[in-house]
Amino acid sequence: MSLDRTDAPAPRLVARLPDEGWLGGVCAGIGSYLGVAPVVLRAAFVVLATWRLTGVLAYFLVWLIVPLFADAPDAPGLDAHTRAGLRTPDRPARHNSAAEWGQLIALGLLGAGLVWIVQRGGWGLPASWFGVGALASVGLAVVWWQADHAAARDLKASGGPFAWLVAVFANGATALALVVGLAAAAASVVATAMLLPLGDGAVVSRTLAALGLALVGLATLAAPWLLRVQRALVQAREAKIVSDARADMAAHLHDSVLQTLALIQKQAADPREVTRLARRQERELRAWLYGTEVPQASLKAALTDAAQEIEDNFPVNVELVVVGDADLTGPLAELVKAAREAILNAAKHSGAAGIDVFAEIEPDRVEVFVRDRGRGFDPDAVADVRLGISKSIMERMQRHGGTARLRTSPETGTEVTLEMTP
Amino acid sequence: MTENLPQPDGLAAPAASAPEESRGHGQRRVVVVDDHAMFRSGVRHDIGPFVTIVGDAEDVPSAVAVITRTAPDVVLLDVHLPGGGGAEVIKQVHATQPEQKFLALSVSDAAEDVIGVIRAGARGYVTKSISAPELVEAIGRVADGDAVFSPRLAGFVLDAFSGAIDVASIDEDLDRLSPREREVLRLIARGYAYKEVAKELFISIKTVETHVSSVLRKLQLSNRHQLTRWATDRKLV
Repeated sequence: MSLDRTDAPAPRLVARLPDEGWLGGVCAGIGSYLGVAPVVLRAAFVVLATWRLTGVLAYFLVWLIVPLFADAPDAPGLDAHTRAGLRTPDRPARHNSAAEWGQLIALGLLGAGLVWIVQRGGWGLPASWFGVGALASVGLAVVWWQADHAAARDLKASGGPFAWLVAVFANGATALALVVGLAAAAASVVATAMLLPLGDGAVVSRTLAALGLALVGLATLAAPWLLRVQRALVQAREAKIVSDARADMAAHLHDSVLQTLALIQKQAADPREVTRLARRQERELRAWLYGTEVPQASLKAALTDAAQEIEDNFPVNVELVVVGDADLTGPLAELVKAAREAILNAAKHSGAAGIDVFAEIEPDRVEVFVRDRGRGFDPDAVADVRLGISKSIMERMQRHGGTARLRTSPETGTEVTLEMTP
Repeated sequence: MTENLPQPDGLAAPAASAPEESRGHGQRRVVVVDDHAMFRSGVRHDIGPFVTIVGDAEDVPSAVAVITRTAPDVVLLDVHLPGGGGAEVIKQVHATQPEQKFLALSVSDAAEDVIGVIRAGARGYVTKSISAPELVEAIGRVADGDAVFSPRLAGFVLDAFSGAIDVASIDEDLDRLSPREREVLRLIARGYAYKEVAKELFISIKTVETHVSSVLRKLQLSNRHQLTRWATDRKLV
């Protein structure tokens, strides 16, 4: 729930997830999109399939129409590391747990039983046509399944339109599966030609029909590859736009790194200033290389800004950890101001080198903790200098329906807790 | 080139100057794996007086070779390495030496990689900006079989385990954090040391360590649907 961030109605598209599904990942994909357990959809397709193979046809149509799941581009640093082999992207493991096998067997038995009933009752296709259809389906499924898995492998590393050929034949099992699939498809084409009601002597028309069927079959088998070429063109165009934007950004960053280095040389005598410059530059680079984009006008972005601003102006390190996020509404903006004041106080007065800030944002409650291990103070004897605590933090929180608590001692430092119900 | 004998400065410093965590254990034997020579020498300089650095390596094959040969107490492992990254080193070493302990170090802070290397089997994660005494303490903790959670890692884990769970959830025990584990993680995210967490919750440090180890186990074993796709999901925002 809070994984799909509520603040971003980014359009999520249906995508097939072959790594999580059994065949084309159609049910896994739709299930994940709708929030339905895939097994429900699988059962629906199986039941439909038993009546004249309708479900099979529907399944193949969805398989063709819905695109394969593709990872969004990573931050540039991560992408570069992936290409250079410095990291292994975490692919979800295909889990064939006992429960999954149980489901598979149960659905298989259900399907077989229903087919038997439908065929015996005479509501289905004639037995020979049903056999041919099943054979063609198996062939098509095997070939398309291979196409998906070859695609998953070469989607990122693809070079040229024939890269899939390399991927296919690099693997004996893949080639074998392709042969089996093609053989099944061919057999079903031949069988269809034999079954056509053309009378006994019509050898020529039967051959022509077989040829036509073979062409249709080949086109169907090749459909995933044809579609992929078309999608690859669109993707290439989008990738170009992204990479242009990144190139501009990189140029800007390199300039600013040069600036910083020049400044550091000039300020070499002032260690505090050097640290500040280095920290700011480090943060900028890190955010660009590894950062995830934080939507503007979110609570997380506002807290990050506040923490960075104080880091820039005081010789402290602010360790900010945010769990969850929310839109920056009026009261929450006040919460950020209070948090900023608390961080500022710690930076100015505590004498600690590091400040830990932890924000936990849940739909019904927001909590922010600002903690330092500095010298602490006596809240009753707070001088005017520290008026910030009572005015900017305590009263501000109360005015906007929140609470602030303060805990301080010379041994453990100070912790300010801010809490609000948005 | 890829490995070195302990440097003189490591021997020169008397063991008595080591922080209390490593007292009574002798010096920890550590292997440093990082592809940046500058970082390796920096670490050697910083923690050399407090631990014995028995070797270093700059990529996956040399790391696996050094670790298998020297069997150190703890391996300091960079997340990004030529040859498949830190996770690959852990996988290959654990194939033959499942007890080998790793502490992951990274400059990247990318949630996906941090979670990835922990799921591969690292006992903890710290950023490269960590101070030398803290790093020595973390090494001691990992060597003793405990887990090391930085505030950031605690935040990632809370994030990963938050939210509604799949209805067809696989394993209740592995896919959920207990309220107590959640409390411990929240305190760590707030910057509390284990000792302070223990005091705050009126439990022993040992109990805190047990909770953290249990979270680590869940993180490594959970098949939770969200966990694997979590990093991707947060990028769609």
